[in-house]
Amino acid sequence: MLIAEVGFAEATWILIVKALVIFAAVFAVAPVLTVVERKILGRFQARYGPNRVGPFGLLQPAADALKLIGKEQFEPRGALRLLYAAGPALVVFSGIATLAILPWGDVKNGVGFYGIDVSIGVLYFFAFGGLSFYGLLLGGWASGSKYSFLGAMRSAAQLISYEISMALALFGAILMAGTLSLTEIVHAQDDVWFVVPQFLGFLIFMVAGFAEANRAPFDLPEADAELVAGYQTEYGGMRWGSFMLAEYLEMFVISGIAATFFLGGWKGPGPGFLDPIWMLAKILGLMFLFFWVRATLPRVRYDQLMSFGWKVLLPLATLNALVTAVLVTVL
Amino acid sequence: MEALAFFVGAIGALGGAIAVIALRNPFYSVLALVVHLVSLAALFLLLNAEFLAAAQIVVYAGAVMVLYVFVSAYVGGSEEPIWEPIPGQRFLAPLLAGALFVEISIAVLGTALTTLEGDGPDVRLGFGSPASIGELLLERYLIAFEAASLLLLVAAVGAVVLAARKRREAPHGA
Repeated sequence: MLIAEVGFAEATWILIVKALVIFAAVFAVAPVLTVVERKILGRFQARYGPNRVGPFGLLQPAADALKLIGKEQFEPRGALRLLYAAGPALVVFSGIATLAILPWGDVKNGVGFYGIDVSIGVLYFFAFGGLSFYGLLLGGWASGSKYSFLGAMRSAAQLISYEISMALALFGAILMAGTLSLTEIVHAQDDVWFVVPQFLGFLIFMVAGFAEANRAPFDLPEADAELVAGYQTEYGGMRWGSFMLAEYLEMFVISGIAATFFLGGWKGPGPGFLDPIWMLAKILGLMFLFFWVRATLPRVRYDQLMSFGWKVLLPLATLNALVTAVLVTVL
Repeated sequence: MEALAFFVGAIGALGGAIAVIALRNPFYSVLALVVHLVSLAALFLLLNAEFLAAAQIVVYAGAVMVLYVFVSAYVGGSEEPIWEPIPGQRFLAPLLAGALFVEISIAVLGTALTTLEGDGPDVRLGFGSPASIGELLLERYLIAFEAASLLLLVAAVGAVVLAARKRREAPHGA
């Protein structure tokens, strides 16, 4: 494998097995999360949420997936066929690719509990985040619809505005750990989780993460009251399902990065084989935050989104990185 | 495996670059440029330059090209170029391109081809890693690095000033 050459290299078959496990786990977890979100939203709104298909409505995602797959692949007349199909594929591809760097445990018996431990660490995540933007953009532009186009343009402006704050928010943790490698950053949190000294960084990262994942209260690219559904308007069937899948993947990855950088990653009491369970528990806890906020906060206005991102979040993130850098050097 | 990755990257880079100038629709040209930049990043990976590859994608594909996309999606769409910016460009451009080609040919024939037979330079562990690049930028080439960031700062301030002046001339929104 090209990327894993620096550092230690694992046998190719181990990498293939790991890739398959990650892929399978994602397609098992993401559909369950959709029904979890709907049930949680239901409880927040004093109703039951889905509870008809299977026990507690747990088979609802299977029914949804079957329905979406069975639908006709509809294309608007003004759509550019190839790019229209490429949009959802690109979004899902980058979502799955970023899952590879989440560390689920330490290296045991020469096998790392992660997809790959890249030397560039979290930059890998930002690189694929940059590519996923083109998925939204192609989807919105190639649909040949005004609503889709405006939604795509909004998401473009939103993504570049909040990506900077998101990266700067991680600087503090990276400086304290003195490394970019995600496993080393978890090891650096042996004494205290970085959420304590880097609370501001954690806060900024989560807020910017909400914007990156197009989630409420920053879901302006798909604001249904103004733009129908933004870049997804003209999509149907499993292509629309791919956009939804990618959104859940992105939430999952952002929660995973936040857990790794600020909540001690896989660390927790108990024997070593519990490591992945702790990691999953932390990720799900952060994802509950995503659902909770969606049920609680109204959508912000577009000018509020921009001025908050550039005038509040970015200066705060810069200040946080600066102060941390000075403290790390002095202490 | 390496040869396969090289040829996929090289074909992507060349094909993207040709498509940028060959396609008529500016939006497609921008997309072709993105393909070109991502392919270049793949080639950087082959050269053990992970940081450069990630920076290439984050900065160029993820930020600079997004602005290009903005502009070409909003104002693009016209099939024909409206005006010729420099008079005589059609005649001057091939001449300059030819001169550049000759210059690069001299450089390639003079130096690079002699190493084709060898195994390439020895790369020590950690070469091209973020730490070693940071060391070079902030210690050995510190002054050049700071001068470049000053230049970018001046450019950013200049852009803001120009935009503000335009707004003052047209107070009812542009």
